[in-house]
Amino acid sequence: MSESVKESAKHKGTASDSGSVLEIKGLDVTYSTSRGDVQAVRGLDLAVRRGEILGIAGESGSGKSTLAVALLRLLKPPGKVTAGSVMFRPAGRSPVDLLKVNGEELRVLRWSALSYLPQGSMSSLNPVMRVQDQFKDVILEHAPARKDSLGELIPRLLSQVGLEPRVARMYPHELSGGMKQRVLMAIAVALEPDLVIADEPTTAMDVTIQRVILQSLADLRTDFGVTLMVISHDMGVHAQLADRVAVMYEGRLVEVGDVRQVFKDPQDPYTRQLIESIPQVGRRTS
Amino acid sequence: MTAEAPPAVATGNSQESASPASGVRAWMSRHPLAAYAVRRFGLYLVELWGALTIAFFFFRLMPGDPIQTLIQSLQQNYIYNQQASAEIIARYRAEFGLDGNLLSQYLVYMKKLILHGDLGPSLISYPTPAQDVILRSLPWTIGLLGIAAVLSWIFGLALGAVAGWRRGKLGSRIMTNLSIALSHVPFFFVALILVYIFAYSLGWLPARSAYDSNINPGFSLAFIGSLLKYGLLPGLSIVLIGTFGWILSTRMLMVPVLGEDYLVYAEAKGLKPWRILTRYALRNCYLPQVTAFGISLGFIFNGNVLVEQLFNYPGLGTTLVTAIQQLDFNTILGVTDIAIFSVLTAVLLLDLLLPLLDPRVKYWK
Repeated sequence: MSESVKESAKHKGTASDSGSVLEIKGLDVTYSTSRGDVQAVRGLDLAVRRGEILGIAGESGSGKSTLAVALLRLLKPPGKVTAGSVMFRPAGRSPVDLLKVNGEELRVLRWSALSYLPQGSMSSLNPVMRVQDQFKDVILEHAPARKDSLGELIPRLLSQVGLEPRVARMYPHELSGGMKQRVLMAIAVALEPDLVIADEPTTAMDVTIQRVILQSLADLRTDFGVTLMVISHDMGVHAQLADRVAVMYEGRLVEVGDVRQVFKDPQDPYTRQLIESIPQVGRRTS
Repeated sequence: MTAEAPPAVATGNSQESASPASGVRAWMSRHPLAAYAVRRFGLYLVELWGALTIAFFFFRLMPGDPIQTLIQSLQQNYIYNQQASAEIIARYRAEFGLDGNLLSQYLVYMKKLILHGDLGPSLISYPTPAQDVILRSLPWTIGLLGIAAVLSWIFGLALGAVAGWRRGKLGSRIMTNLSIALSHVPFFFVALILVYIFAYSLGWLPARSAYDSNINPGFSLAFIGSLLKYGLLPGLSIVLIGTFGWILSTRMLMVPVLGEDYLVYAEAKGLKPWRILTRYALRNCYLPQVTAFGISLGFIFNGNVLVEQLFNYPGLGTTLVTAIQQLDFNTILGVTDIAIFSVLTAVLLLDLLLPLLDPRVKYWK
């Protein structure tokens, strides 16, 4: 794994598809409403390389969360994928089109290959289950062989994100927002998935916690070698965390490239505006 | 997003040991659950006392003289034609707890009830005490209505959960609309239809009594079979309608939970749908149903008089109706007391149980 991390670091910004975990081609997502259809994602092409952290940027309503939900196959009606393919290449498994798998085939793929890191401020943890049981159910579902090592595995995962082992015995309502986000991060990497899709992992947190969460996310990549797709409206997050960044506007991909390249020399005027929207100490906006 | 402090762990805190004067308070803060249980039990006793007292005075307001009724029935039964003397009447009054003023009657009644569990003699079957009359019919009621209530709760919860889970699907829609239509049909109406079909037209099942009178009551296979056969129609009419009510309320609780973030997360985790339904969805919405079940137990004692009457079932409802007809106030009051006692006890037990069922439930600080 660590080799692929280095490899992707080497190939940053180049357009090779050979090492990609995920290849999105011509993706269209539409929400049908009584007042007509709304296209949230339009003809999107994007590849996620193994071992990289890919940031998806864009304002509210740009379609970035819809993209995440569609990739995770969690899109609910009235949302519908109307065109495109999403080739997913998990290590040690045959490549699949994520939009074509269903039922048991999809369920088996979840978490062990494709996992999800929701926003911590959402109530993604089951309020009536202890933290350790929320680790347990997903680990035992996909890797029943690890049953005996659970007692050691859960505290190790928790310490990886900077939490004490005693958190395992707590209920979600006893945790702070930052702690919940870290628990979610630990659960997301519990099965060493090929790809983690993080939807606004730092939104609704205060700045100091944001920094800690971003640092932990970066550490997870070094420790577990996971490939991470980070969706955030906050360009600051991408600047700090991502290797490459893709910018979405009105459902279209307007720019994708090495994060330093994009920040230094944005090609699209919209990207320039987004970068300028980052608040800076000592600079007046407008 | 309120970050609650983890529950205080019982540790020998130095601050507490510093003030040994307030021993009760220190004990309470060290054992919050036990302290809560004690307080809740105290409240239970007060509620019990209050409800029994109200019931007692309420029934003393009933018009009519039960002693006259008794004497009349005795005269008829024993062809006893003399005019009852004042002495005899006074003796009966004393025996039934009707002598002295209302307050002393109350004190005597409560003393007998609490110390001896004695409800006073019954009028219908004088001199048998009212509690014996009630205890004779209580097992029938618990057996029939209690089992029916438990079954309809379980069926309703299971079917309602599935109806909520598969909302929008055809099967779920049919079940939901059927429940809306049928959940408020009275039990006896369904009972009449069932009797017409299965007892009258088809003649498969008996429609009266609790067992075949040709079989001796006892722990024999034949008797138990007869019990089931005779209990099937009244039981079915209650379970059928009760289930629809529970389906509707469970579905109503289930649907909002299905939109919660933790359900999406559970799906993303790739858990089996059955596990998501039970551990994530149902587990987060069934709590109000547990409380509602405790309260519904109370209706066992007064809500199904009609069903018991209709099937001539020797349960509490039938006893209650006979007692009211005969102005048997000790029995009427006794049945009421039992209903009060069971509802309050059920609610007490549920209140103590809820923190175990849901970690978010916390009555203590």
